[in-house]
Amino acid sequence: MLPGPCRMAPSTFVTERLSRLARPGQEFVECNIVTTSPSAPIVATGLVRHFGSGDSLVRAVDGVDLQVEAGEIFGFLGPNGAGKSTTVRVLTTLLKPSAGSATVAGFDVATQADKVRRAIGVALQDAAIDPLMTGRELLDLQSVLYGIPKSVATKRGPELLERVGLTAAADRRVGTYSGGMRRRLDLALSLVHEPSVLFLDEPTTGLDPMSRLTLWEEVRRLNREGTTVLLTTQYLEEADQLADRIAIIDHGKIVRQGVPRDLKAQVGSPTLFIDVDGEHVDMARGILERFGDLRPTSEGKLGVGLAQGAEAVASVIRTLDEAGVHVRHLELNEPSLDDVFAEATGYRLEGADQ
Amino acid sequence: MSSGSAILHTAVLTRRSVRGRLRQPAALTPSFVFPLFFAALGSASFSRIADRPDFAAIAPSFLNYAVAGAIVQGVLFASTSAAGDLATDIEQGFFERLLASPVTRTSILLGRLGSAMVVAVVQVTIFLAIFLAFGARIETGVIGFIGLVVAGALLALAMSGLMSGLAIKSGSPEVVQGAFPMVFALMFLSSAFFPRQYMTGWYQDVATWNPMSHVVEGMQGFMNQPLNVDQFLRAWLIPLGIALAAIAFGLRSLNKRLAAL
Amino acid sequence: MNTATTSATTSTTYFTRPSAVVGALVRRTMLRVRRMPSAFVPSIAMPVFQLIAFSGAFGAAVRFAGIANAMDWYVPLNAIQGASFGAMGVSFGLINDMQTGFFDRLLMAPTRRWSLVVGPIAGSIARAALPILLVILVGFLGGMNVPGGPLAIVMVIVAAAGVSTTASAFALGLTYRMRNMGAATLTQFAIFFTIFLSTSQVPLSSMASWLHAVARINPMTNVLRLARQGLLGDVTWDQTWGGLVALAAMLALSGWFALSGLKSLEK
Repeated sequence: MLPGPCRMAPSTFVTERLSRLARPGQEFVECNIVTTSPSAPIVATGLVRHFGSGDSLVRAVDGVDLQVEAGEIFGFLGPNGAGKSTTVRVLTTLLKPSAGSATVAGFDVATQADKVRRAIGVALQDAAIDPLMTGRELLDLQSVLYGIPKSVATKRGPELLERVGLTAAADRRVGTYSGGMRRRLDLALSLVHEPSVLFLDEPTTGLDPMSRLTLWEEVRRLNREGTTVLLTTQYLEEADQLADRIAIIDHGKIVRQGVPRDLKAQVGSPTLFIDVDGEHVDMARGILERFGDLRPTSEGKLGVGLAQGAEAVASVIRTLDEAGVHVRHLELNEPSLDDVFAEATGYRLEGADQ
Repeated sequence: MSSGSAILHTAVLTRRSVRGRLRQPAALTPSFVFPLFFAALGSASFSRIADRPDFAAIAPSFLNYAVAGAIVQGVLFASTSAAGDLATDIEQGFFERLLASPVTRTSILLGRLGSAMVVAVVQVTIFLAIFLAFGARIETGVIGFIGLVVAGALLALAMSGLMSGLAIKSGSPEVVQGAFPMVFALMFLSSAFFPRQYMTGWYQDVATWNPMSHVVEGMQGFMNQPLNVDQFLRAWLIPLGIALAAIAFGLRSLNKRLAAL
Repeated sequence: MNTATTSATTSTTYFTRPSAVVGALVRRTMLRVRRMPSAFVPSIAMPVFQLIAFSGAFGAAVRFAGIANAMDWYVPLNAIQGASFGAMGVSFGLINDMQTGFFDRLLMAPTRRWSLVVGPIAGSIARAALPILLVILVGFLGGMNVPGGPLAIVMVIVAAAGVSTTASAFALGLTYRMRNMGAATLTQFAIFFTIFLSTSQVPLSSMASWLHAVARINPMTNVLRLARQGLLGDVTWDQTWGGLVALAAMLALSGWFALSGLKSLEK
């Protein structure tokens, strides 16, 4: 059957006009050309989600404002129980918001859930797959769930398996897959309907470093091809490596949001550590004080927080040199996302060093 | 280790195990609810049969008939679920911890069996109180009452011995639960729910050969017939025989498992 | 920014047919049965064993009530019971899917919510087909009478399928709300008591007062009458309509219970 005329997702006016063009029995096809939509792919405004009631009321998400721009990778950081999974579950229509609102791909998550579902791909925590089924069977099921015609599915399925490197394992039961293979299959499943927005909920938790790198590469590639990605993670390095922008959530509230470099800069200046000969220590200390506050260090070392940022290193060295201070060793420590996190929440994230 | 300390350990472990069982009433509930429900259902469904003249030789009422079956069913349910607990313990590394303790090895098994007997005594007493309240009567009086309670305790010893042996041998709660339908089958293929006299063909033959029939009928004797030796022989000796064999099996499994550690 | 959006979303979006989803979920159920037969064996063995045990143990009670062969009485009961066992499987399967997160995958699919309810129920009926047919077969081997002809067997199957549907929908509704293994246990209890507090063992006329009172208003009694009629005599409208009404009412209630339970997951 020929596809019918298409309708643009947000415009009911166009939809009504076009529906008159459809011949009887013809399937109505959504083109999903949302370039005209002014809204960002993910927008949450004052989003609240609580569980229970009365004294046992838990505000898992407590007024979250979030905007993810088209084509970016957005990192959503927070410890377990901070509300990031609940936020994702609301954005992916699994939970209704208790208050506030959110739109994904231009559709309201509460009132247009079906349209949201069609536009998004989701790879959930722990790779939600049935261990008794094979990779190919799961892909077939996923295709049915998204109404993809068999003719298309038979072509796209093998492509996706190839893409995530599971062609050889496609007819094995998923129960025999390694952790990394399961995540890659999960990713492939989330792509069968070519979603414009991809949610990845802790995609690399529990993976070995090699599998993690493979998955990162795939996420970058998807993003280059135009997919907007919202990624939750407990790993600061993952957010640092992948995300264009990040948000840190704690106790159900966004406590920081922005570009990682800016956030790090906000935490404070980079620290310069130097090692000088004993007789020069006092003189060196005097010089360093001109460039910023001295920082505590171990015996025989000096440290200074560079008020002007890392660019000041050159002039520090020049000044020391001109004063005749011989620098034996030098080390510059940029603030990390770990520092940002610690500053924002008051504690450090477990596994932050991973 | 002396036999004195073995007895002491067994007594201590019995008490601990009884407390453990009583602390999880949810696990014990089915072994009370189902037998009583079946007895109520049976006496309501089959009351017309009790009006037949040939039934008078079996029992004065169907309720009176159903008492022994309910007791047997309840004791078997409870014993199996206790053995299931043991298998779960084993699965979770119970024996490794045990090796580090100064407890006599055999008292581990005997303590469990002891607690099954204590629970059975309580259970049979409660069952009898309920049945008496609903109009059943024990033909042999106080002696019959004791006869039934002891029979229940011996049956608990036999059943929990068998199932604990199986639990120790397999170390898997699934295997113990899987053996449960066998127990159920054994009950249906006996006179526990319905008089053997009314069965026909091969089914009746099987029921006649099934030792369960004879245990139940011995107990029914306490309920419905004048006191006689046959009742003790069937209701006490058969479970006791099975119990001794079961304990031997259980201890052998225990030694094998401990030796394998 | 615009280029990024366009390239990701120019693909055609399709419409999901709920019937296709139901079909896929049924296929998945059968696939799981094939790959994990150990979980399926009891659901075949139990009804057949119970048919033999009930007929053997209680046969006299049924014969005294004037029924020629105990199989005539117990085949419909055990076919229905075998069919209702599937509800436990539905509950276990759903809990399993909830634990692995697979259920979230289904929930996030852009398909009608009812297809996610009907899918597992249809799967349960498919699963029940073998036990039902086996019970009927054993009935024939045991000399079951069929005065009502082929229609008699149709009635047994209609009743069994209807109860399977109701029980599965009830199991879903309960599991959506409880989200733990307790739901399966409670489902089992509910089915057990509904079936046994009816004319499961003996006709109404043979029952003592309290059971008679309960069984008379238990819709399962109507369903059993519908199922048994063709094995005890002719299939007549008189003995059919009450069962159909009972099935329809139970289906409506359990269906609503399941759908509202699914909705409550978002809340």
